[in-house]
Amino acid sequence: MRAAIGKEVTNTLRDMELEARMRMQYEVEQFLYNEAALLDDRKFQDWIDLLTDDIHYWMPIRRTMNANQLNEEFTKPGDMAYFDDDKEVLKYRIARLDTGYAWAEQPPSRTRHLITNVRITNFEEKEIDVESNFHLYRSRLDTEEDSWFGKRCDRLRRVGSDLKIARRHIYLDQTVLLSTNLSSLF
Amino acid sequence: MNQATKASARDAGPASSYVDTENGLVDRTIFSDEAIYHRELERIFARAWNFMCHESQVKEAGDFFLTRIGEDQVIVTRDKKGAVNVLLNSCRHRGNTLCRAEQGKARSFMCPYHGWNYGLDGKLVGVPGYEEFYRGGLDRDEWGLGHAAQVDSYKGFIFATMDPDAPGLLEYLGETGRVGLDIAAKDENIEVLPGIQKNRIGCNWKLAVDNLFDWYHPTISHASSDRSDFFPLQDTLYQMNQMVMLGDYGHAIAGPFVKPEGEDAASDVENTYGTQPIMPHPNIFPNLWIALNGTQLSLRLPRGPFETEIWWFTLVQKDLPAEERRKTQLFATHFFGPGGLLEQDDGENWAHSTRATKGIANRRYPLHYAMGKGKDKVVDSPLGHKRVETVVNEHGQLWTYKAWAEWMDADSWDELKQNHTPAPTGRI
Repeated sequence: MRAAIGKEVTNTLRDMELEARMRMQYEVEQFLYNEAALLDDRKFQDWIDLLTDDIHYWMPIRRTMNANQLNEEFTKPGDMAYFDDDKEVLKYRIARLDTGYAWAEQPPSRTRHLITNVRITNFEEKEIDVESNFHLYRSRLDTEEDSWFGKRCDRLRRVGSDLKIARRHIYLDQTVLLSTNLSSLF
Repeated sequence: MNQATKASARDAGPASSYVDTENGLVDRTIFSDEAIYHRELERIFARAWNFMCHESQVKEAGDFFLTRIGEDQVIVTRDKKGAVNVLLNSCRHRGNTLCRAEQGKARSFMCPYHGWNYGLDGKLVGVPGYEEFYRGGLDRDEWGLGHAAQVDSYKGFIFATMDPDAPGLLEYLGETGRVGLDIAAKDENIEVLPGIQKNRIGCNWKLAVDNLFDWYHPTISHASSDRSDFFPLQDTLYQMNQMVMLGDYGHAIAGPFVKPEGEDAASDVENTYGTQPIMPHPNIFPNLWIALNGTQLSLRLPRGPFETEIWWFTLVQKDLPAEERRKTQLFATHFFGPGGLLEQDDGENWAHSTRATKGIANRRYPLHYAMGKGKDKVVDSPLGHKRVETVVNEHGQLWTYKAWAEWMDADSWDELKQNHTPAPTGRI
C-alpha cells in the first residue's frame, strides 16, 4: 500500500490530471457563484440564458421515513414534486415576476444563495455532473424569513466556450416546508 | 397571553355574535383569538368527520399514513384483517409519539421510550416487564391506543370522527358533500400519486378555507399568471356564470357553472392549458377542498390560530395512459402547491389578512362577506339539486361562517343536528 501511495504522489500524469481537475473545479465553482449572483441580483433574464433548452429543473418531495424505507424518502421522477419544470415553465416563472402582479414577490424578496461543498462527481467530454450544498436565505417584507438548506445535483454542459445548466435536481432538507410559498429559484 | 387576548377570551360571547348573517359581516376576532381557536378544536375538529387519506395510500396490511384531527396526530393503518384504523399517535404510558415516519409500512408500533408495543389495530400487544414489574397490575386490554370513534369511507376517501354521537358519514356529507366528493371519485378507479406537498402558512385556517369559494380574487391575486400568458384567466373564470350549492353542516360548492353529467354535456368547460375542465370548488366542512375537477384535494390543517399546514393530494385514474398521467401531475405541480404559479400568491394574502386581525382597532371593523347577499334564489337543477345560478358571489363563504357559528355554539351533536340551519331554499 505504501508503494502505491508513493507511486500516486510521484505520478506526473496524476499531477497533470489534478491540475486539470483543479482548473475544472475552479471553472465550475466560478460558474455556480456567478449564477447565484444573477439570482440574488434579480437578473433573471440573464439567468435563463444559462440554461440549456432541454433543462429539467426538479425538486422532488422529501418525506420523513424510517431507516428501513429511506429509499422512498424522495419522490421519483413522474411522482409529485415541488418543481418539475422545463425551460418554458421557468420562463413563465420569470415573466410572472416582471408583470408587477406576482404578489409573493411584490415588493421583491431579498435572497442570498450560499453555494458550498462543490464536488464534481462525473465528467465526460461535454458534460460535468456537480453536486453542491446550498443555503438559500429569503428576507421578505419587514420580518419574514425563510431558510432552505439542501443539495443540488446539476449537470453542466459545455456549449461553445460557455457552461450551461442542463439539469438541476434540488433536494431540500425539510419535509414540511416552513414557508408560505416557493417563489424563489434554487 | 397579552391583554387583548385575555380581554377577548373573557368577553367571548356566543360564536353567533361574531357572524352577522343578516348583513354578511364577520368579526375579525375569530381569526386570532386563542380561546376561540381552542373551542374550534373541541367543537369542530374533534366533532366533525375529518378527511384522513385515500384508500390507495393504505392499500396493504401494515401500510400507515400520519395525519391530524385538529392538533391530535393520528396514524391511519390497514390492519391484518383489512380494516382501516385511525389511532392516536401517543403511547398510553407516558404519551410519547409512537410513529415518527409520515408514512410507510409497519408490523406494529413500538414506543421508543419504554417499549410498549401496539398492533396495527391499536391493541396493546407488548409491555416490557409485564410479568416481572407490573406483576398482574396492568390489564393490556384496557390500555390500547386512543382511537377515532367512527371510521368510514366514501368512494375510497377515508374519514374519521372523534365523536361517537356524530351521524354516519353519508348523512354527514349530505347531498352537497357527496356531490363534492363524487367530482373527485370519478369512476372510483383512482389513486393518489406518490408525494403529498406540505407547507406552512402563517394564516388562520378559516381564511384559507373561505378562499376556495372565491372566484372574485383570481383576476387580481393571479394577475401575474394572466399577464405573463401562463394561464389566461379571462377565458376560464366564467365570473358571470357561477353556481353555488349550500348543504347542511357547512358543506358548500361554488364556482364556474358546469352542469353535472347527465345534463347538457356541451356545457363542459375546458381550459386552454390542457384537458382539465374547470369545475366548481367544493369544501367538505371543515377543511377539505376538492380542487379543479377533483384532480387534487387540499387539506387545511390548523396549527394554532396563526398557522395552517396545507397538504395537497393529487389523484389520477389508475388506468390512465402514462402520458395523461404525466399531464395531470405536471398541471398540479405547475398550478398549485407552494411552488405553483397560481398558488404562490395566495398564501401571503391569507397571512396578511390574519395578521391584521390581531390589531385592537382593526377588530372594530368586521370583514365584508355580503357580495350577492339577498340578490339570488335557490332553484332546482334538472337533476334535482338545490343550487343558485348567478354571478360571482360570497354565498359559499358566508354559509361557511354561519355554519361555523352553529358548530361552535352547539354543546353536542344532538344539539347541532337539531339547531343547524338546513340547506336554504328561496331567496338568499
